[in-house]
Amino acid sequence: MASVHEMHVAGTDRDTADRAARAAIADVKRIEAKYSRYRDDSVTTAINRAAGARAVAIDAETASLLHYADRCHALADGRFDITSGVLRRAWDFKRRPPRLPSAGEIAAARDLIGWPRVDWSDERVFLPHAGMELDFGGIAKEYAADRAAAIVRDAGIAHALVNLGGDVRAIGPRADGSPWRVGIRDPRNAEGIVATMLVDDGAVATSGDYERYIEVDGRRYCHLLDPRTGMPVDHWRSASVAAPLAILAGSYATIAMLQGECAERFLAEQKVDALLVKADGSLRRIGHAASEQLVR
Amino acid sequence: MAATDAAPPPRGDGAIRIGDRSAALVAAALALPGILPATALAQSAPDEGVVALRYYDYRDWQPGVDRMSVRSPSLYAFVPLTDSLTVEGSLVYDSVSGASPLYHDTVSGASGRGIGDYRSAGDAKVTKYFGDSSLAVGAAYSHEQDYISRAASLEWRTWSADRNRTYAIGFGAAKDRINAVEGVNAPVLDQPRETYDYLLGFTQVLDAESVVESSLTWSDGRGYFSDPYKLHDMRPDHRRILAWLTRYHRYFAASDATLQLGYRYLDDSFGDRSHMLEASWVQVLPHGFTLTPTIRYFTQSAAYFYRDPPFPQGFVPGQLYTADERLSAFGAVTLGLRLAKELPNRVTIDVAYNAYRQRGDWRLGGSGSPGLATFSARWIAFGIAKRF
Repeated sequence: MASVHEMHVAGTDRDTADRAARAAIADVKRIEAKYSRYRDDSVTTAINRAAGARAVAIDAETASLLHYADRCHALADGRFDITSGVLRRAWDFKRRPPRLPSAGEIAAARDLIGWPRVDWSDERVFLPHAGMELDFGGIAKEYAADRAAAIVRDAGIAHALVNLGGDVRAIGPRADGSPWRVGIRDPRNAEGIVATMLVDDGAVATSGDYERYIEVDGRRYCHLLDPRTGMPVDHWRSASVAAPLAILAGSYATIAMLQGECAERFLAEQKVDALLVKADGSLRRIGHAASEQLVR
Repeated sequence: MAATDAAPPPRGDGAIRIGDRSAALVAAALALPGILPATALAQSAPDEGVVALRYYDYRDWQPGVDRMSVRSPSLYAFVPLTDSLTVEGSLVYDSVSGASPLYHDTVSGASGRGIGDYRSAGDAKVTKYFGDSSLAVGAAYSHEQDYISRAASLEWRTWSADRNRTYAIGFGAAKDRINAVEGVNAPVLDQPRETYDYLLGFTQVLDAESVVESSLTWSDGRGYFSDPYKLHDMRPDHRRILAWLTRYHRYFAASDATLQLGYRYLDDSFGDRSHMLEASWVQVLPHGFTLTPTIRYFTQSAAYFYRDPPFPQGFVPGQLYTADERLSAFGAVTLGLRLAKELPNRVTIDVAYNAYRQRGDWRLGGSGSPGLATFSARWIAFGIAKRF
């Protein structure tokens, strides 16, 4: 979660706000530490290290995240797969000069993908082949945003906004009763805004092709990889979704990106408001309330 | 709903409709811990059941004398019947061995047969939850060789709209029978005792990390209060106790620990007044362990009819009299340590050790009763609990 986090709290006294914010931040850090795949002592690292060797005992929180990931996998017909992080071995988005992986490298990584092959229960998880990996990166940050919001709300704060690296969760409207205005970043201009989503209470999350990518021969290859092909998606530049919880908004946005041309129908089926930026830069709005919810 | 109805036939794995999968994802998100407000969960009946087995081993002694030991297994169950009705109950069986608790060096040897070789007891409580309140009805029964107790209770709780404050009003009644045929004074046959308890309490969530709770209990008892196994023991037949208990819990996110502070003031019409202060630190450790050290200090003044040793100094036939160390003036310290571990399958095991020491000169705010030997006790508890 090496990204910018911010929190706005309104309509309460300084002490309450400080205490709530501190507790929320501590919880965000806890989740980050617990599920980071970069940390030696994280749950993720423990599970991945034991791949092919043994099952690892998990707690109720981790089990509930696995349940959630399992439901995401089912909803996305396998396109959302928390074992697909191994594709990073084939796709190096930091390498300069950039290079495309060979078909063999992609095939080798794809052999290690497969959520249905993971042996898991409420008490334990076992990755059946050495080299397999779980990656909670696609859900842990949004989960942390929802928990932080719940901590703030439980402190009696009625107006708050939590933004964890672009995943935004609101508690109530702004202190004056007006909705929070969440700007949707222009996928091709880091300083620009393509639209504004109004949020009274709930969450907005965006998935885009601009977070990590390489360009080879004038073509962009982004970090959002379809686990079934091992190839980056390219139908949308970004998908922004409004949903009651950040974790739902984030999953819908990611799945929409992975759905390609089916994304609009998928989002309509979820009955959420969304804004898609197509590969040619045009906008698509989804949701029966889109005209009120989305203000250019 | 039009969007869901228009969903295409399922792809891939057969019978599951897209709409079902969407609902399943939302349900999985809502099932994540800490997403729903904790306080909102309290408004309906708890949906988690618990079965717990506990084994408790108590032993006390004075210098050179082992007094009493108690071993007691107990069983507790809490079962949500519907989403607005819960039932809970417990069973306990105590077996007692060794001498009766004399508590008093100078009457050593004057003791009778003891306080009964076993005790079996059970209680049950049914709680019904309404929108903003709950009503609990309870009953308890306890049986010893020389003592039978039946009790019933009623408790009503209500909470504020934001669930941050809870009020409780309670009423309890107990009817006891004492049958100490082998008492050291005249045999005590079928002596009754009736006690009525009244409770007022509130709980206030102060902020995300701290809660304070406070309760006032008034107990009014009439009947036989003397100890049939203590020579010359004669106590008033009317006892009123006022107790005020306040607890404060504060969670420290940075260290993932909770501080619990407690204070109890007790005023007994027997004349003894006591203060109890306790502090616990509940530390969450890696690998599912929780370690809880506790320290408790207790200080009390003596009952007005308590007489200092040597026994039976101050005894006048026909007048109130006790030499029971529990009614003397003393101070006491308890040190406790509890280690709990979360196991898979929602099972928790724990072990606790408590050491207790009581001395006259540890009393605060006045001199302690002279002439009493230090009284020590320790208790060990093992527990296993399964949530479902």
